[in-house]
Amino acid sequence: MKLARLLPCLLVLLATPTAPLDAFERVGDRKILVFAGRQEVPTIDPSVKYDWSIRMMQQALYDALVKYVGNPPEIVPWLAERWESSPDARTWTFHLVKNARFHNGDPVTAEAVRWSFARTLKLNQGPAWMLSDFLKEDGIKVVNEHSVQFTLTQPYAPFLSFVPWWYVMNPRQVTANEQGGDLGQKWLTDNEAGSGPFKIKRWQQGVLYEIEAVDAYWKGWPSKDHVGGVILKLVRESAAQRAALLRGEADIVEGLSADDFDQVAKTPGIVVPNFPGMTTFGLKMNTQKPPTSDANLRKAIAHAFDYDALLKIYNGNAVLQTSPFPNATRGHVPVPGLPRQDLARAKEFLAKSAYASGGTELEYVYVQGLEEERKMGLVLIDNLGKLNLKVKMVPLTWPNMVARGAKVESSPDLMAVFATPVSTDPDAVAYQYHKNSWGKYYGSSFYTNADVWGLIERARMLARWEDRAPLYADVQKRIAADAPEVFGMLANRRWGMRDHVKGFVFSPVRFTGEVDLYPLAIVAK
Amino acid sequence: MLFGLLCLTFVISHVVPGDPARLAAGPDANAAMVETIRTKYGLDRPLAAQFARYVRGLAVGDFGESLRSRNAVRDDLARYFPNTFELVALALLLAVAVGLPLGMLSAVYKDTWIDHGARVVSVSGVALPAFWLGLMLQLVIALWLGWLPLGGRLGLTATSPAPITHLLLVDAVLRGEWRTFADALRHAVLPVVTLCVPALASIMRVNRAEMLETLQQDYITTARAQGFPDFRVVTRYALRNAMIPTLAMIGLRYGWMLGGTILVETVFDWPGIGLYAVNAAVSSDFQPIMGVTLLIGLNFMLANLLVDLAYGWLDPRIRRPGAT
Repeated sequence: MKLARLLPCLLVLLATPTAPLDAFERVGDRKILVFAGRQEVPTIDPSVKYDWSIRMMQQALYDALVKYVGNPPEIVPWLAERWESSPDARTWTFHLVKNARFHNGDPVTAEAVRWSFARTLKLNQGPAWMLSDFLKEDGIKVVNEHSVQFTLTQPYAPFLSFVPWWYVMNPRQVTANEQGGDLGQKWLTDNEAGSGPFKIKRWQQGVLYEIEAVDAYWKGWPSKDHVGGVILKLVRESAAQRAALLRGEADIVEGLSADDFDQVAKTPGIVVPNFPGMTTFGLKMNTQKPPTSDANLRKAIAHAFDYDALLKIYNGNAVLQTSPFPNATRGHVPVPGLPRQDLARAKEFLAKSAYASGGTELEYVYVQGLEEERKMGLVLIDNLGKLNLKVKMVPLTWPNMVARGAKVESSPDLMAVFATPVSTDPDAVAYQYHKNSWGKYYGSSFYTNADVWGLIERARMLARWEDRAPLYADVQKRIAADAPEVFGMLANRRWGMRDHVKGFVFSPVRFTGEVDLYPLAIVAK
Repeated sequence: MLFGLLCLTFVISHVVPGDPARLAAGPDANAAMVETIRTKYGLDRPLAAQFARYVRGLAVGDFGESLRSRNAVRDDLARYFPNTFELVALALLLAVAVGLPLGMLSAVYKDTWIDHGARVVSVSGVALPAFWLGLMLQLVIALWLGWLPLGGRLGLTATSPAPITHLLLVDAVLRGEWRTFADALRHAVLPVVTLCVPALASIMRVNRAEMLETLQQDYITTARAQGFPDFRVVTRYALRNAMIPTLAMIGLRYGWMLGGTILVETVFDWPGIGLYAVNAAVSSDFQPIMGVTLLIGLNFMLANLLVDLAYGWLDPRIRRPGAT
């Protein structure tokens, strides 16, 4: 009987149309920003993993000693108010601010910094690779409650450029939640122990992640209209993301296609920030296995490729690479003579190669489902056909592609690779061409040049930028001359954003899709 | 049978190209970090040893650990399966509730406009790909008309009721949270319809064919000659006999729908095991893939067992061999 009375009410509720919204969510007096993203946040443990969505949340929940801000990216003081390094770049001392507090009220101390770095090194996951060759646990010393000193095993000038990704955790909270000596890994998967501008409100794995602004954030807020919280809602289909933005169900979306971005940009109430990023796109060529082990064939390919087609694929929202290093990388110099389409030169190089009349087939491997990479393959077929070279397009899932590129025997002739360096220091890009990067997806060229490796090793150990800069200029020229890849373009980073979202600060060192949530504000009309 | 499925899935997931340790360690990880992961998860051991370890774990209800999230797969399955079950159950109920009468009507009014209309529905239902139908429903119903949400399980600021059964709709009813119930139901409409259409079409087609055959039987002619009302003849005598193959189809459809949720859950961001399996597959995270496969296999077997039992309930000749 009761149910019978309730049924009509339910029907009314169901029949009520979900009216398109034109604003953010409100919870009490808080303005909640809705970010529709395609990628999950499987863990937020700062010592275990990072990618764009993980790091966006880590950056919101945790603080590091320093932070990357702006375009061009600058390293600014954060938990550390100042720092100094020894003349040989071996010893780095950071002095902490005195008012920083973890979310549970504990002070952020030098011991917490030491413990956090030691934990990441011990677990040897996530960001550990950035420093593990130079920093050992016993090299981290607490000088006093607010000063911590890092003594590296050898001089390493890029040290500071990686520190922004090493977040500081509250040791007391983490150790209290250890399970079987796991250093709190299980607990930190979906709990946090940070001092960042946000704390967790809801963590519904696979559905949404809601964080809430810490009103009394120790560093204060840049705007009185700062967001009261952020909901990262998983919307996996780009068509649904676009629809969510148009309907006003999302305030920010990432990862739309080039055409979709252009279309939503024309919609009133929506803005599309558009900035050149640091992600390079190149066609990595296997330099150790025929036919692309032939340097002249590689140069012929590089000169036959239609670079303007790359820009067209992205509707003009990209810039061509002028060096193996992205433009925002410190020490970037344009390399004269970096290949552009020139069929006559391509034929000259081909004539010098072991494949003078072409007639061979090259395998082009790309990520299945990535339309832009498929189009690039079609461009290759057309361009290399003029040299009588055939191209076989092989779409693979990302794991299979990484597996193919991990060994010289299986690495394809041409592999479409987007690579985002994690720091603005040139070492982060240069090292991709070092033998120690073989086996990684961006090392699938298996590039070999002992002179270049020597330069890279020397440059990372020099403390003074004046000494390092010429070495990196040389490295860029030498790599370009060896043509281990077709140096392509830097695609612009774009987001679809409701125009009431203010305070967006772009920094190219962040990953594709990643947004710094701290400066965001909502200014309702 | 389940053990066969276990062996097959284990071998397939381990021989496909891809290095789960490298993927779990991250794109920039050095060789030492990859080896740390490989050793931790026993990926450096021979395949037979890995299999033995996995089976030993299963014996105590341990489905392993996800390399991607480091969560126990058992916990993940417990979190996601109720959502999938709810989606499939609603879709199946709708398919049966609409497909059965439609098949019956189509047979009774053979070659009339009702029959033609029903057949158009059934052919379209079988032919339309689920992801396309889902996207079209999103476009028209959610985006253009704005009647229903685009996806998800609940509104952004809505909170789930405290779990009792872990089935959101059921828990909302049990807790008396009617607004949450309505919200969850509204979010369920489009994915349920998308998932239900192919099943509805199959059930309708099978039921129509069986009804047509049954309605030609002598006992139906006899019943009609004795003056029984047509409604009673059709629903009580014909439908019951025509139901046995239809029931087999419903059982099969339950299993297929569990597998079919992969596409529907992806389109509608429905946090179920289909979506979980997709995310695991693209990361070569094989323990969740194994867990999902076993769970679907187990459900398939249970559904078939229930169908077998239902045969006996429907047909006394099966329940009591020799009965006429």
